[in-house]
Amino acid sequence: MCYNTHMNIIETSRRKFLQGSVSLCIYATSALSSPWQTTKTSNKKTTDTPYLCNMCRNKCAGYARVENGLITKLNPNHNFPKSRNMLCPKGNAGIQAIYDEDRLKYPLIRIGNRGDGQYKRATWDEAYEYIKEKLVKIIDEQKDNRSTIAYCNGEGFNKDEYIKFFGSKLGSANFLDEGSICLNTKLGATQLTIGDVGEMDVAGSDYMIISGANRYESLITPDSVDMIHSKQKLVVLDPRCTVTAIKADEYLPLYPGTDLAFCLSMMYIAFKEELYDKKYVNEQFDDFEKLKAHILSQKYTPEWAESKTHIPSQKIEKITREFFAASNPLYYLGRRSVWSQNDFQLRRAMVLINALAGSVNRKGGIIFGQPIKLNDEEINEPLYNNAEGRFDLDGIVYGSQKGGSWLNFREKVVSKTAPYPVKAMFIRKHNLMQNMPNIAKTKKMLEMMDLVVVLDTMPSDTAMMADVILPECTYLEREDMVVSFNRLEPSLALRNQVIESLYESRSMQDILKGLGKKLSVPLFHVSAKYDEDLQDSIKEDGLHKAFVEGGYDMAELYGYNTTQRNKRLITKQFGKEVYNSLKEKGVWYPYMDEQKELFNDFYEYYPPEKRFYTIDKKYRVNAYLKKLEKAGFDAMPTWHKYYDFNLHEDEFRVITGRYVTTTQSATANNVMLKDFEKENYLWINNNNAKRLGIKTGDSVVVMSSVSSIVIKANPTNKIAPNVLWIPHGFGIDSQEMTNAYAKGASDNMIIEDKFEKIYGCATMHETNVTLRKL
Amino acid sequence: MANYGMAFDYKLCINCHACEVACKEENGIDLGAKNHRLWIQEETKVSGDFWNLDRDKVEFMQMQCQECQDAPCMAACPNGAIYRDNNGIVRLHKDLCDLTRACMSACPYNARYVDEKNHVTDKCIFCADTRLARGETTTACQITCPAKLRYFGNLDDPESEISKVLSSRKHFTLKPEKKTKPKLFYLE
Repeated sequence: MCYNTHMNIIETSRRKFLQGSVSLCIYATSALSSPWQTTKTSNKKTTDTPYLCNMCRNKCAGYARVENGLITKLNPNHNFPKSRNMLCPKGNAGIQAIYDEDRLKYPLIRIGNRGDGQYKRATWDEAYEYIKEKLVKIIDEQKDNRSTIAYCNGEGFNKDEYIKFFGSKLGSANFLDEGSICLNTKLGATQLTIGDVGEMDVAGSDYMIISGANRYESLITPDSVDMIHSKQKLVVLDPRCTVTAIKADEYLPLYPGTDLAFCLSMMYIAFKEELYDKKYVNEQFDDFEKLKAHILSQKYTPEWAESKTHIPSQKIEKITREFFAASNPLYYLGRRSVWSQNDFQLRRAMVLINALAGSVNRKGGIIFGQPIKLNDEEINEPLYNNAEGRFDLDGIVYGSQKGGSWLNFREKVVSKTAPYPVKAMFIRKHNLMQNMPNIAKTKKMLEMMDLVVVLDTMPSDTAMMADVILPECTYLEREDMVVSFNRLEPSLALRNQVIESLYESRSMQDILKGLGKKLSVPLFHVSAKYDEDLQDSIKEDGLHKAFVEGGYDMAELYGYNTTQRNKRLITKQFGKEVYNSLKEKGVWYPYMDEQKELFNDFYEYYPPEKRFYTIDKKYRVNAYLKKLEKAGFDAMPTWHKYYDFNLHEDEFRVITGRYVTTTQSATANNVMLKDFEKENYLWINNNNAKRLGIKTGDSVVVMSSVSSIVIKANPTNKIAPNVLWIPHGFGIDSQEMTNAYAKGASDNMIIEDKFEKIYGCATMHETNVTLRKL
Repeated sequence: MANYGMAFDYKLCINCHACEVACKEENGIDLGAKNHRLWIQEETKVSGDFWNLDRDKVEFMQMQCQECQDAPCMAACPNGAIYRDNNGIVRLHKDLCDLTRACMSACPYNARYVDEKNHVTDKCIFCADTRLARGETTTACQITCPAKLRYFGNLDDPESEISKVLSSRKHFTLKPEKKTKPKLFYLE
């Protein structure tokens, strides 16, 4: 890692293309000839700090070793039930994220055009002042419609607090998060079908079917770890022979987007042969007969499913019989991006299959469990009469009221069909320019803004579109608010601060505190100009009282720092011992003293009899969703002709995924992880490649209706004919990301921006392309 | 004083690279794919046509210095730079190494590489001068592994977990025909 904590600041450009202007990163000169080095740990004992990883969404627990103020090693924390005493390659490479030379170091204000990377260094106050002037003008122009400011956050930690600031305090309805480019259909399908999003008990299952989720290359804790150690039979369906497929007991290769046909056929066989759990069905199902009649009348026979999926019908029968004969079968619902228009009903079919087997609210199924509820920190929320509602769920049947629909939002903004103009965006840890289909359209959306502010640690493609860049510190440089994890073996975990924040970076809390102090009064005065209720209360109570009691102090939550807030919150709700455990071990759960080693540093956390496999809860299994019928959609899982995988000989379907060493585009610049995959390779079926004269390493042009990319080919027998796999997280356009810039190609350049209408989720696997050798 | 060895429950490996990164960070190994004390070797590729793939022969094998009891590297070094330490680990007197690379040629396991920073040949030493020197009982690769497939411990202690695993499960060593008597074992 690079250890340039003492540096000379040189205000000059470091690359030719920026000559004559001030470069984005006022960079550090280094005494080291090669700044990116690993550093050997010493033979001295240290007291290590418990922390929570942030290299992906998992938040595994670790201990950080610090020597002379520098982090030299990250090790797994054995106390955390969720992460099972392990750290993955990305977790281990977290050190390189902290000491990345390209990190955002100082507040920056744009001086060139959006996207060209010309910025000047600013003080925090100058950056806040710039934002204030723009915001006052925008909100004044929009007559106090606070929803003209959209805000987004792609990170689970701190999301609610971010919403409190921009939603509750600033008053905007337009919050967007990663859910609509990720797994909202799965969450929604589970919630609407069994009344709760639940949790999948992988460890307790003796028979598990996985459709497409690549749990051994896209690691999820504890699922991936539990799969390794479980003796269960594992069946994997995937159009690509992933490591998960290689390791499966049965691998069923199929065409992309046809998993639903397999599920429908499983239900058909279960009804036909009466394999389902009759007692459970009698007790819990609503509209069971409707579902049964529908599936049988549609004749979703195994032969029919074979014609759609390419999975032999005998195989479908065998798997179905085994599944329903197992003691604790689980159809794993996945945890990944949405594939196609049928995704909501696909996830629902999976939930229904689990329910037909009785695998709900019991060991090895979808469990409800008992998460530890954390008390909320209450704040005083102002009411803005002129703030309009969100518009991105217009035309969406359900949708997430929290995180909305990115593609619908973007479409309405770009086409100017939104009911009011969106003039500003606050973007935190959300790489919009890489994370959603059709990058050109995202660029257009950002170019339409009067103000774009980015809070991040890296000069991402999205940061390059900002007017103001506010450098956030990384996860090892801050304490975050305590978080509750999991339902079967619930625990609390705390991200403790390991080192002081580097450069001039600040935690999100400190950034919001600074913004709040700068913005509260000026924005209050804008409201006072337009908001009649506020005018009344000013008349009645005077300016000061109206401000304070109305909740207009945006920095209200930040009277205390995070450490003080955690101490107060945790001690008050759980007592001092729990707080001490979180500070000293990073984790608390009720049976810590009984934690026992099973073998080789692998532990049992909750004693089996204390786990929340089954809880006392009233719920129904909703086989039929009336609201969907009313909206003109299928109330039950149904196949439609246009779901068929049916391509011309020279056409290919693009699917995405990722390498085990990457987390979307967030790890793109990590020098350690780049050692494994410097660029991405396009997987193409070996027979297709042969026909087209494409050999390993050949550059090919891939063209969709949206755009085209050039990428190197990897002809392989591990992918279905006429399917192309593009690993996500490459083709970075920001020249400030020196390890990532222009390495490989970005899938989202060519993926068409379609979305399904039940949850407004981007459908990532519906783009057909053509390709040719360059 | 111990006689350290390692046993791999190798079939559990998912080739996630956690061990490789942990090793590099702990022991200050240079970046670059060529520089590694340990690596995972994919034995046999998936064969056949996509709809009828044969996956059965695919194994991910944990590769590193096999800690031979009759170590060819030790015999090959013209400078006598290679020795066995108190814990039975094959080590290097760095000041005696002048990069003849004889040890690299002699090693049947391709376990050594050139450490260009220190101008010596390097290989896995079970974190002897980092973790073990601090009194820790695990190696960086062992503790970080999601599969916990690496058993590390004292082969001379019948009560150690590795001794128990080796006495209760079938195992093999790599290239037994070389008669190097490795102290790394692969569990069936």
